[in-house]
Amino acid sequence: MSLQVVLDVASIALRVLMPIYALVIVYQCFASARRHRRPEKPLVTLEIMETGQQIPVLFWENSIGRSKGSDIRVSDPSVSRDHCVLLRRKEGWFVSDIGSKHGTFVNGAKTQGRAPVMLDDVITVGSTNFVLKRGDEYQEKLRPSWFFSKASNKGSLKPYKLMILITFFHLFMAVEACFSNELQDAVPMMVFGAMELIMWAFFCISSYALNRVNFELEALACFLSGLGIMMMVRQQGGPHMAMVQTIAMTAGMIVFAILVKFLENPDRADRWRLWIMIGSIALLGVNLIFGVVKNGANNWLSIGGVSMQPSEFVKIAFIFAGAAALDRLQTMKNFILFTAFSAACVLALVIMGDFGTALIFFCTFILTACMRSGDFRTAALLVILPIVGAVSAVILVLGLSKKVDRFAYIASRFSGWRHVWEHTQDNGGFQQVRVMTYMVSGGLVGVGVGNGCLKYVGESESDLVFGMIAEEMGLVVAFIIPAAIIALAFYARAITTRSRSSFYSISACCAAGLLVIQSMLHIFGITDILPLTGVTLPFLSAGGSSMISCWGLLAFIKAADERTYAAKRRPVAPKNALREQGVRL
Amino acid sequence: MKRIMTRSLAIWFVTIAFLAGIILLGVRVILYHNQWVQQPFNGHIASAGGLGKAGKIYDRDGNVLAYSENGERYYSDDQTTREALLHVVGDESLNISTAVQSMYNNSLSGYNFLIGVAVPDSLRPNGDLKLTVDSDSCRAAYTALGGHKGACVVYNYKTGEVLCDVSTPTYDPANRPVITEENEKEYDGVYLDNVVSSTFTPGSVFKIVTAAAAIENIPDIDSRTFTCNGELEGFGETIRCADGEVHGEQSFSQAFANSCNCAFAEIANLIGEEKLKETAEKMGFNSDRFRMSDIPIAKSHYDATGQGSNALAWSGIGQHEDLANPLHMAMICSAVANGGTATSPYLLQDTGNLLEKLGIHTNKAGNVEMMSPSTASRLQTLMRGAAENYAYGYGVSIAGLNFCAKTGTAEVGEDKAPTSWFVGYTEDEAHPYAFAAVVVEGGYGVEAATPVIDAAISALAY
Repeated sequence: MSLQVVLDVASIALRVLMPIYALVIVYQCFASARRHRRPEKPLVTLEIMETGQQIPVLFWENSIGRSKGSDIRVSDPSVSRDHCVLLRRKEGWFVSDIGSKHGTFVNGAKTQGRAPVMLDDVITVGSTNFVLKRGDEYQEKLRPSWFFSKASNKGSLKPYKLMILITFFHLFMAVEACFSNELQDAVPMMVFGAMELIMWAFFCISSYALNRVNFELEALACFLSGLGIMMMVRQQGGPHMAMVQTIAMTAGMIVFAILVKFLENPDRADRWRLWIMIGSIALLGVNLIFGVVKNGANNWLSIGGVSMQPSEFVKIAFIFAGAAALDRLQTMKNFILFTAFSAACVLALVIMGDFGTALIFFCTFILTACMRSGDFRTAALLVILPIVGAVSAVILVLGLSKKVDRFAYIASRFSGWRHVWEHTQDNGGFQQVRVMTYMVSGGLVGVGVGNGCLKYVGESESDLVFGMIAEEMGLVVAFIIPAAIIALAFYARAITTRSRSSFYSISACCAAGLLVIQSMLHIFGITDILPLTGVTLPFLSAGGSSMISCWGLLAFIKAADERTYAAKRRPVAPKNALREQGVRL
Repeated sequence: MKRIMTRSLAIWFVTIAFLAGIILLGVRVILYHNQWVQQPFNGHIASAGGLGKAGKIYDRDGNVLAYSENGERYYSDDQTTREALLHVVGDESLNISTAVQSMYNNSLSGYNFLIGVAVPDSLRPNGDLKLTVDSDSCRAAYTALGGHKGACVVYNYKTGEVLCDVSTPTYDPANRPVITEENEKEYDGVYLDNVVSSTFTPGSVFKIVTAAAAIENIPDIDSRTFTCNGELEGFGETIRCADGEVHGEQSFSQAFANSCNCAFAEIANLIGEEKLKETAEKMGFNSDRFRMSDIPIAKSHYDATGQGSNALAWSGIGQHEDLANPLHMAMICSAVANGGTATSPYLLQDTGNLLEKLGIHTNKAGNVEMMSPSTASRLQTLMRGAAENYAYGYGVSIAGLNFCAKTGTAEVGEDKAPTSWFVGYTEDEAHPYAFAAVVVEGGYGVEAATPVIDAAISALAY
């Protein structure tokens, strides 16, 4: 039994333990997210004056009207289908008429815009009078959400402990990278040190300066970003690329913190929406004019030595533009503006030749349109029309492919799809077959950080990163990544039942949907399940713009969680005080 | 909000689509990882066809057929052995896809799904494989083939062990030829193991199948007589008996022993196209389910339905569009020897891995029922009669053992000599071998193909 055997056994043991460890971390992130939720109780109760019937008000924003989809349904011919919205803000409860025929009244006075409603005030809709009562007055039990555990459950892992777990995972990766086959030095340790310093600083600022109670989403993002960065150290880009990625992560964290703060007031987005759209279109326009061509797509902009992909930042703007508060959501102006903006974005991306991102925007648009539109017929139309458009666009592109070089390139990639093993040495399948070969070469536990061969294939750190992780960290870790993103999507859907505004519900679901669609195009593109489009994997691919935009998108999900803006230690107010304050519930 | 909540389920659809794709990917990884990893461009295993560190390959007596040293692959010291066993062992080009070095590349190179290719040298399993073949027998058969294109397979019909598997043309794996336009004729089909991957026109050996169908479908077949005038014109194209022989009036068993084409053309039409196809399919024609260990056996072909009585007559004597694989023919003979059930052949001996210790033998397929025991027993008698004819008439001997057999001489074209066949089995407790030999353009089966089997089995028996 030589020393070599002992070392070899140790390295294999580490490689076997790492995937299990990664599984524990991802599980803990979501286990923690499922806890600390207030019990299911109505926020307030509406009492119908004539009958004394009590209606629980469950959401922060509630539609009142005659249509089936209304939260509070009034079957009265004098009530419009979508009559008004009862909503809660920091300042209290309001009722906002949304273009009803006969108007909405509070204590007998016709409302204009958002009218405040106090306890025991009377809201008149058609011939029905509602009295606003406290939530406690509603006696019946409500069904709890499947995603969240019961309020009485034991406490979850403390955020700092979760961070320690993650730090050790990254440390093990750094150790593995230090002893890679080709190169042995301490550089990975230095990158690791710098990265962890930033992560812990972020953690401290979030919990102590910003007083945020929860840290699970940030922890998950830290875990994934750090995994990507520790991978980068030993790739073709070397430590330089890892440092750039670390800086991008820092920028992403700052964007995240600013966005979460900015989104605290859901109505603020409304005032900014137009400017955000104009700014985005301008950015894409500048990109079109001054853009730099890289890998066949003209989607790079170089300013003072720093190159970036504007389309990544426009993703954040896109989510902004799509969401709105319930009483402003269904206005025609709002919707036309959003559709026009989406069409402009997709068109700009197609002209740039960035078909992957165009496809992501397109799918996200369909998702948003489906969520925000009124009745089922419009929704169906909004889903079907763009698909018809897209199919005809594909036919057009294939038709043009003989004349325009850029389209010919797309067509050549399409032709290799499902036949990649016949194209091992040309554009049709060169990258895909190498991804598939190398991802299984690592087996379940991987060949170790820095020992892979996929790094010698171009664009492996960005467009093929999933294959690289599978090769070096093993298939288990690789499959944990989509699992985490899937869990994130379910989480985003689950928290929307409690979102403080439809703005959050829509933006969180669409942001999560965008991440899912992007991951799908990345993973399935390089493994020949879908045609290869060359998009990045959220948080893990090399690329500063992509990293920043992923943190930005995560902010929407964070903001949608009701717990985010809850103060850390809420002083318990005496019951009577609440009644006296009237509006402050 | 309620409406948005319902609509937000759209994200579930997207997510479930993602999940479904991930599951599909996972399934593909599990199903295809062996193929995916075995690529010539794979940097992890690129040296010597990925065999630079591969384990040894032994024959049944422990002779080393291939081994690796310092990243290079080496083969047996004896050139004849290397050439005779090329299609079983393979070479570094991995062009012979059914050879052990191609099929079991991963177990030889130590790749496993759990820890991938990066197994440290100190912990690398030896990856050795032991085969069931006997290199002496293969060498003898190869020499007896005498430069003809062909195939020879011998396997134990009681256990399924493949003892002799030789395919020609061949080359020396230690000195791989460069195949160019000038010499490509000489190496035509060299990457195919004719024993498992090729099919040939069976000629008279197909009469075993026709006879089985006759036994099962014509109750009074034994009391019938068939008159042979040397040629038959009743079905269209003239059918002649070999060498212009005239067999006169004969019984069913005499017709089989004489390999009388005129009688069997008539018998095929008595059976009918559907019934004959049914019997052929029960015996494994038109099916690609057979395996030798994991190595797929080529599909034998039989179908004369809907093409009239002339086609049926020719198909009944193994001509028309009939095609048979040598190993499949040997399996049919093993079914005759075993009372109707064919033994599945295998090439890899137990490796003693965990599954095998638990009694799960992944290298052995189950047995296949091909005919009823009574049909098998009747065919035994017929084939013994034919064998006596060869032994007394032509002096054929198979290592001095009792045997039951059938020869074949398949016409393949006007300007080509016929393909010779010899299929059958030995009736001996100690040496229960089913066999098949094919010699392309060899001439009469009884002359060209029987010495090959005699050589192969003699090497096993003595």
